[in-house]
Amino acid sequence: MVILTRGAYARPGTSLDFKTGNWRSGEAPVHVHATAPCAASCPAGEDQQAWFARLQEGDAEGAWREVVRANPLPAVTGRVCPHPCETACNRAALDAPLAIHNVERWLGDEAIRQGWTYPVSAPAADAPEVAIVGAGPAGLSAAYHCVRQGLRAAIYEAAPEAGGLLRAAIPQTRLPRDVLDAEIARLLDLPGITLNLRARLGRDVTLDELERDHAAVLLAPGCQANKAWSIDGAVPVDLHEGLNLLKEFVDHGQLPEARRVIVHGGGNTAMDLCRAMKRAGAEQVTLVSASGLPGPETDPSDVINVVPRELEEALEEGIEILDHTTINRLILRGSRVTGVEVMSLRKLRGEDGRAHRVGFEGTERVLPVDMVIPCIGEEVAPEGLGALIDHGYLRPRDPAGRLTQERVFALGDARGDHGTVAAAIGDGLRAVRALVAELEGAPASPDGDRVGIAPDQLNLSYYDHSARVAAPKLRVEARTFETEIEGDIGRAAAMAEAQRCLSCGNCLACDNCWTFCPDNAVIKTVELARDGSHYLFDLDYCKGCGLCAQECPTGYIRMQS
Amino acid sequence: MAEHDPRGERLDELRRKFGREPLPPGADQKELTPREAQPRFRGLESGHRACQGCGEALAARLVTECAGPDVMIANATGCLEVFTTAWPQSSWRVPWMHSLFENAGAIASGMEAAMKAKGKNTKVLAFGGDGGTYDIGFQALSGMLERYHNVLYVCYDNEAYMNTGIQRSSSTPHAATTTTSPAGKERMGKRHLKKDLLAIVAAHHIPYAAAASVAYPADLQRKVRYAMGIEGPTFLVIHSPCPLGWRHDSALTIEVARRGVECGLFPLVEIERGAVTNVMPIRKVRPVTDYLELQGRFSHLMTPDDARAEEERAHLQALADHNIQTFGLRGDTPDAGDTQASSSVGRGGHPAGRV
Repeated sequence: MVILTRGAYARPGTSLDFKTGNWRSGEAPVHVHATAPCAASCPAGEDQQAWFARLQEGDAEGAWREVVRANPLPAVTGRVCPHPCETACNRAALDAPLAIHNVERWLGDEAIRQGWTYPVSAPAADAPEVAIVGAGPAGLSAAYHCVRQGLRAAIYEAAPEAGGLLRAAIPQTRLPRDVLDAEIARLLDLPGITLNLRARLGRDVTLDELERDHAAVLLAPGCQANKAWSIDGAVPVDLHEGLNLLKEFVDHGQLPEARRVIVHGGGNTAMDLCRAMKRAGAEQVTLVSASGLPGPETDPSDVINVVPRELEEALEEGIEILDHTTINRLILRGSRVTGVEVMSLRKLRGEDGRAHRVGFEGTERVLPVDMVIPCIGEEVAPEGLGALIDHGYLRPRDPAGRLTQERVFALGDARGDHGTVAAAIGDGLRAVRALVAELEGAPASPDGDRVGIAPDQLNLSYYDHSARVAAPKLRVEARTFETEIEGDIGRAAAMAEAQRCLSCGNCLACDNCWTFCPDNAVIKTVELARDGSHYLFDLDYCKGCGLCAQECPTGYIRMQS
Repeated sequence: MAEHDPRGERLDELRRKFGREPLPPGADQKELTPREAQPRFRGLESGHRACQGCGEALAARLVTECAGPDVMIANATGCLEVFTTAWPQSSWRVPWMHSLFENAGAIASGMEAAMKAKGKNTKVLAFGGDGGTYDIGFQALSGMLERYHNVLYVCYDNEAYMNTGIQRSSSTPHAATTTTSPAGKERMGKRHLKKDLLAIVAAHHIPYAAAASVAYPADLQRKVRYAMGIEGPTFLVIHSPCPLGWRHDSALTIEVARRGVECGLFPLVEIERGAVTNVMPIRKVRPVTDYLELQGRFSHLMTPDDARAEEERAHLQALADHNIQTFGLRGDTPDAGDTQASSSVGRGGHPAGRV
């Protein structure tokens, strides 16, 4: 029987002989795969746009595999990351940014439930072995990326368990231990990773030995030493230092008793401690921070460095926050604290052009307290590192983390230039990538050569309004030391949230260019074209009107000469 | 005797007309070029001589690709005829006949009668611009509708005689400047109003008359398909911006058309047997100045501190408000058919799917 061809083709119109492409005076459309703002701002190096694309296709496992290209611990970061990706999200210009952390967390949990495994093959038995000091997020991430790149990794960890700060200092209300254990166990089960516990640098192993026996050394010891704290030299006799106190609490659930507590600092440790003390029964907990609360009045560089939802929950729980304030003087009876004098201050630009904190005379107040807990930050413990430490940290000389010695890298909090779990994970990725390039003698792949994309480069007419998912949260009265406060959003909500992604700078395959070209010069293909889209520009007929670029929702098409 | 099967007969007819012999097993399939392999019918092919960003070329392409391939077209004189058929080439991949400016309706009537006499089912389309439809071919159109021919008449409305040099037509909107209604000391562009052709056509009591816009291609093609399924005269007017005559950037054709709908000046209504049966609600009504400011033909209305300009702006706003009120266009609660939902896209296309 005769086959009826698709569309029952008529014979081609002979106007195809007339190449209208030569009317084009200047610019022609090109596909530009820009970096979405979420990906550009992710300290862990994830491409959120890419994994949301997989979720939009309904492929959750594919999305998770896309996540773990950069970040092996999404169930952890989905819970503890301050999510700069959401702050950067272009969708804010339309309604509200995507709930990226909630979806990442759901993906991470789903991977644990379903037992998904990393798409990684075992490194060769004779592959070079890299020594990694510290099994915190930076060290674990580095080990994972070593295996991904075909290297073996030997981790040396001083503590009896892997996890670093994730295990030692993040309360269960933010990061349940079963989640942490599951992600770490999956990572450590990878072939090619050996974990040496209770192996302290300087006591059980030395840096020289590590350098001698391994292809490279990645130092991710974290910051274990509290910075010295005193107010004009005065230190109370019962001083509890923030991180130590939090570690003790996380370890065996004990907190000192006090009625009125002041926590001095402006980070997540300070905030976790405030909430733990309040829950333990302190009547009044006050955070004294030199930085400001987020708001239109506050300079973005001077905002309190706390995960936004943690701040919100702390306020719900009745934590009092004195922002733009510092402790001027401790009022001691004998050597016990009975009160503090606080004073307002601001970060102001001085005559030398640099920002200084300036206290304002006449704003002093005295607050009666029983306990003052400093949480002003930590630095690298010098044991075994000696001469590498420069003013408290291992300050690397390039973004990959290289120190002055050959093939020795610094990762994570110990670098002193950033302090989030996500950044530590990203350090692992960047250091291993640089190391592999060095071992292979190739130049390091240029990082971030893709252009960015702002909301005005999108065409927002093509996106309908859609509300951001709200994660369930425990009522204030129901919050305990053990149960997680923010809940799971579930599969349906995660998939629905993924549909909100604008796909900034990457093809949605929405057919707009194909539909709107008056000249039939956009050709749809079944196969993916080389640039990753389903469309080709037939420049023989493109007159260069620019309609496709104007009507591309995602800004993937640009007119260039 | 086998049961009468009109669908099967039709399929056989199409196979005879367009089919090809199957290749023997093992033979190499013909390698299709990407252009040939596109999953849609190309009724109006590349290489036509329309200006950059032409709204009319786009509209004609959208109509033909979902009406074709089993159609034949009568095309009134105008831009569309000129830019698609520069001798000896043609961009049309369907039977196509050029009529005079004034008689596309009559030619289409004759083509339809001939097909009927031959026992053929091929649908006849008639294409015309606003000059050939609102003005010159109006009488032939009215006759075609009155004689109840099975023809879909599509008017590509770019609101002036663009082909001959941007002269005003009865479709040119009030206060637009053209070469025969120039803005100046005496007048602020065209003095008269845009003719409400849809109402006149609907007064013929035909089965279906509708307005569409190139900014909403899914809606436009739905209307074409609906009209194609009707046995009898149907009419579609498509708002098709003209970058040359409206004096806007060629990349802004869709944006201009979209704002035209969203401000209420070009209401997308559907009329069946003289009664309004459907409208596209406007999710967020825009002021007419959003529409005017993109176009050079209205630039004289944007002069600051000019009382005459202010009055004309207010006049156009009142006309838009009148449309919104008359047709109930304000759609404050989200609706699957409103201006926003009709254009929303997701991965892989429009959420509702472009059939």
